[in-house]
Amino acid sequence: MIDKRLFRLPGTKQLLLVLAGLTLLQAFVVLFQGKYLAEALVNSWNQKALQTIITPMTFFAIAFILRHLLNLINNKIVENYASKTSENIRSKLLDRVYDVGPSLLSEKGTGNIVTASLDGIDLIENYFKLIFTKLMNMTFIPPILLIYIYTQNIASGITLTIIVPLVILFMIILGLAAQSKADAQYHQYTILSNHFLDALRGLPTLKMLGLSKRYAKNIYTVSDEYRRRTMNTLRIAILSTFALDWLTTLGIAILAVFLGLGLINGSLPLFPALVTLILAPEYFLPLRDFSSDYHATLDGKNALSSIFSILEKDKQENSDNDLQKLTWDQNSSLTVKDMIFNYADGQNNHDASLDIKDIQLHGYQHIGVIGKSGSGKTTLIRTLGGFLNPDKADIKVNDQSINSLKQRSWQDELAFLPQSPYLFSGTIAENIAFYKPSATEKEIEYASEKSGLKDFISTLPDGYKSIIGEGGRGISGGQQQRIMIARAFLANERRILIFDEPTAHLDIETEYALKKTMKELFENHLVIFATHRLHWIKEMDYVIVMDNGKIAEQGTPDSLYDHNGAFSQLINNMRGDQI
Amino acid sequence: MKVFKHDTWVKPYIKKYKGLLVSVLLLGLLTSFCAAALMFTSGYTIDKAATQPVNILLIYVPILLTRAFGIGRPTFKYIERLKSHNWVLKVTSNLRTRLYKTLESDASFFNEHHKSGDIMGLLSEDINHLQNLYLRTVFPTVIAYLLTLLGSLALGIYTPAFGIFVFLLLVIEVVVVPFVSVAIERNRKERQKQLKSSLYTKLTDNILGVDDWIISGRFNDFKNLSAKNVKELNSSKDKSKSFRRNRDFVLQLIFAAIAICFLVFTNLTMTDNQEQANFVAAVVLSLFPLSDTLIPVSQGFEEWPQYRDSIERLNKIQPVSDQLPEQIELAPNDFKSLDLNDVNFEYSSDSPILIKHFTQNIKRGEKLALLGPSGIGKTTILQLILGDLVPQSGEIKINDIDIQAIQNSRDKIFSVLNQKPFLFNTSVINNVRLGNENRSDADVIEAIERVGLKDLIESLPDKYNTNVGENGARFSGGEQERIALARILLQDAPIVLLDEPTVGLDPITENNLLDTFFNVLNDKTIIWVTHHLQGIKYVDQVVFMNDEKIEMQGSPKELYQKNTHFQELYKMDQGL
Repeated sequence: MIDKRLFRLPGTKQLLLVLAGLTLLQAFVVLFQGKYLAEALVNSWNQKALQTIITPMTFFAIAFILRHLLNLINNKIVENYASKTSENIRSKLLDRVYDVGPSLLSEKGTGNIVTASLDGIDLIENYFKLIFTKLMNMTFIPPILLIYIYTQNIASGITLTIIVPLVILFMIILGLAAQSKADAQYHQYTILSNHFLDALRGLPTLKMLGLSKRYAKNIYTVSDEYRRRTMNTLRIAILSTFALDWLTTLGIAILAVFLGLGLINGSLPLFPALVTLILAPEYFLPLRDFSSDYHATLDGKNALSSIFSILEKDKQENSDNDLQKLTWDQNSSLTVKDMIFNYADGQNNHDASLDIKDIQLHGYQHIGVIGKSGSGKTTLIRTLGGFLNPDKADIKVNDQSINSLKQRSWQDELAFLPQSPYLFSGTIAENIAFYKPSATEKEIEYASEKSGLKDFISTLPDGYKSIIGEGGRGISGGQQQRIMIARAFLANERRILIFDEPTAHLDIETEYALKKTMKELFENHLVIFATHRLHWIKEMDYVIVMDNGKIAEQGTPDSLYDHNGAFSQLINNMRGDQI
Repeated sequence: MKVFKHDTWVKPYIKKYKGLLVSVLLLGLLTSFCAAALMFTSGYTIDKAATQPVNILLIYVPILLTRAFGIGRPTFKYIERLKSHNWVLKVTSNLRTRLYKTLESDASFFNEHHKSGDIMGLLSEDINHLQNLYLRTVFPTVIAYLLTLLGSLALGIYTPAFGIFVFLLLVIEVVVVPFVSVAIERNRKERQKQLKSSLYTKLTDNILGVDDWIISGRFNDFKNLSAKNVKELNSSKDKSKSFRRNRDFVLQLIFAAIAICFLVFTNLTMTDNQEQANFVAAVVLSLFPLSDTLIPVSQGFEEWPQYRDSIERLNKIQPVSDQLPEQIELAPNDFKSLDLNDVNFEYSSDSPILIKHFTQNIKRGEKLALLGPSGIGKTTILQLILGDLVPQSGEIKINDIDIQAIQNSRDKIFSVLNQKPFLFNTSVINNVRLGNENRSDADVIEAIERVGLKDLIESLPDKYNTNVGENGARFSGGEQERIALARILLQDAPIVLLDEPTVGLDPITENNLLDTFFNVLNDKTIIWVTHHLQGIKYVDQVVFMNDEKIEMQGSPKELYQKNTHFQELYKMDQGL
């Protein structure tokens, strides 16, 4: 129920101390509330006049109000803590994304991280709120009330003491039974509950297959089956709440009977009996609160531990400031020797791990990286871009030795053009100026002219200020790539261009039109270009052929064409039969 | 409450399963009653016992009742929870069926909406929200109101003035405060929703765009992107929380006032003789358990705005009435040709005309490839051919029958395979069998063999019963296409529409897949929308569209020999 890592969060210990004090106070106020209520009632029972109950009644009212005031303060403190701490966790999560982002994303899935950073944080906040208050109430209120009840009537004290372990025992037994039943059904359960969404999303397909009308009946049948199963599980799942309820109310009933018998015997005056009866529900209240909202607590706990696992995942030891500031030019060189990169187990990679013997790049070379899908092209490109840290590598930039390209000064020289560009929500101008937010309007216009965007932008009603990205205007794949190209044109001082299959999704005519622009961008840049579109090879002066994470062949295109090696075979396979 | 004026998603269902609904409310009421009665009888037991009656039998009945109510409360509560869930889930089955049927009636819904995010996910969530509306707002509120009425009535019978007085206090507690708090919080909640959705966008920008952030080195901008938004959202949420805390405090104050009234009232009116005084504790103590029923009403009201959105969204979806002409049955074997004559189409009168004077004649068995830049309307042409869209002018005919006249039996004539074929979250064999549910297992397996998946699937532990996972995630893109192709083979319609089935696949997978497509679909008529020229040799006709007209058309060989632009494109595609 409680994650130990919670206590390591900043401010938690102070919070617990403050809460402990407040709750202790609250326990006494609850006690007084009961005590004075009982006093007032005893006086009324003795048929005394209204004046005699005014004092106890006033004290009762004060205690009652104080109790809820303390509760208010308690909530305020916990809520502030919860919101601050969960915000802090979100901020750390974002730092983490930035630090080890890409490999983290490929492991956990982007959707999961977005959900974790939004809904996950809300769940955690709620969890903090529930767990601390309930925990404190459980710790302080029942014992204090119990001690008082013992002083009033030992038999009642014993009765109340015995019921609690009984409640817990029942809840554990029933909880376990429910759990095992739920676990057994869980798999089918999720399928059934997602069935409806599956059917809605598949509706066009059902229509094409001529099944959509008949399928409506299926929706009802499956949904009703889901209802039947839910009810079966629920019957057991809420048994534990039932047991708690049953034992606590029955406890009160038994108590009343005992007290009644004691009173008849004359062994007990009315006041202790009444105060015990009044305090008994208060005694059980924290326990009942603790067990309600169990699911919210559980969800919060799971969200928290999943975020903790992200935050604690192998911290990178490499500093990203090993490499001194550099300016890539004609005479610069990059040598990579004996580079090994392995994906962690369970990482959902679709690409091979790397084992690279030797790569040497220099000046404004244009290097093509080709290979079938899953050959390690993307992994290689991403290690060269510094997105992935190799397990082992001997890298030299000019004359400096480093073991990873995840270096600030290396990445300052890069422009990266991926297969599916990501457009940020904002204006076109902001997207173009992403590498260089300080760019002037003139510079942005120049870059968009160079990248062939100008005509397109002039057709937009808001021109450069048009909002794109999420929720903005839909932009075709070709225009998206042009925005990436404009970015690179604008940040012309970045002399290394890394492309990861930038035209894979484009239609042939768009690609044809784009090629001219891209060739212009290539000039005076080191170009590393992963592709499976063969025509690009002609623009390259060096080709690396990847196969199963290793370099199968490398050399100038001409030399590779000349002999029948991995390169020629790959080209033949890709090309297929001709007209 | 305007929301309910034209509502057809909540109101009608309240009437459904009326008996069950009434029993749910009754049980809820009984639960609260037993809770109060337990304290009542135990209070009385003690008071009565304190008078030390000679005969223990005098408190025998209250003791018995105390036990009965002690058992009754949890039992009724347990049954009430089960029944209410049962009722809600029954209604849910109805709502789901209805949502499905409504969407099913409107094919164009998908064309308009498939771009705007996950509308399906949203709608299915809405139905879940309605479940909570009942369980968390409607039921508790109705029960609290009934309790208020009955409780005040019971007091009123005893002392009318006091009954009315308590009633007024209770009305403040369960009616005035909840309504006022919804009114106060409404705008803030609305704003929070906007902030939250904009925060979602920003966090998505952070996370999906992380590559670009890293390369750009703009760490501070990365961190600050959502900061302002978070700050505003949190400060607004803090206000809501503070409001909620204060409101709950006020609710408790009102409750305290009621308790004091009870104390004074019992002291004034019930102390004339001991027999009456024995009821004092009973009456006062029975009040306290009721706070569990009364105080949460405001909480339930607070969730209302969220439910309102769902109700409004669901009410916006309207079934589309069938406007099809009289339907004609066309036997698949009788299909001879498909004609598009001078077809013009625009999505709406203020959007540009998308398809201009498009004419094409496709004979049985012919294979045609349709190319052109994205956004030019290639997919729209397929939708026109299917009859999902209706052209503003021109005609689309099969043999001599208008396409709109064969809609009821269109699945006998057309098969469609698109970019991301939809696989249902069930076994491979069930997915393929959807093509034709009357075929035997052997036929289904044969189709899977023909699309080249036999070896792969038989190597899996569950073989043909392997679950394909959500959206077919268990299989790669190429494999998903093959499973969908097997489905089409079973469907066995004479015309197959392929909508960029190989986009995003690597060239080797693409070559193999195209080879399989044209091999197993050899006897079909194929209209193939594609984005480049890989596999173009398989077709008889190539049609290049641009935004004005058909730019070029002919057999691939002919075009390659005569048309330089085609030649250039082809050479580029092949890397020659």
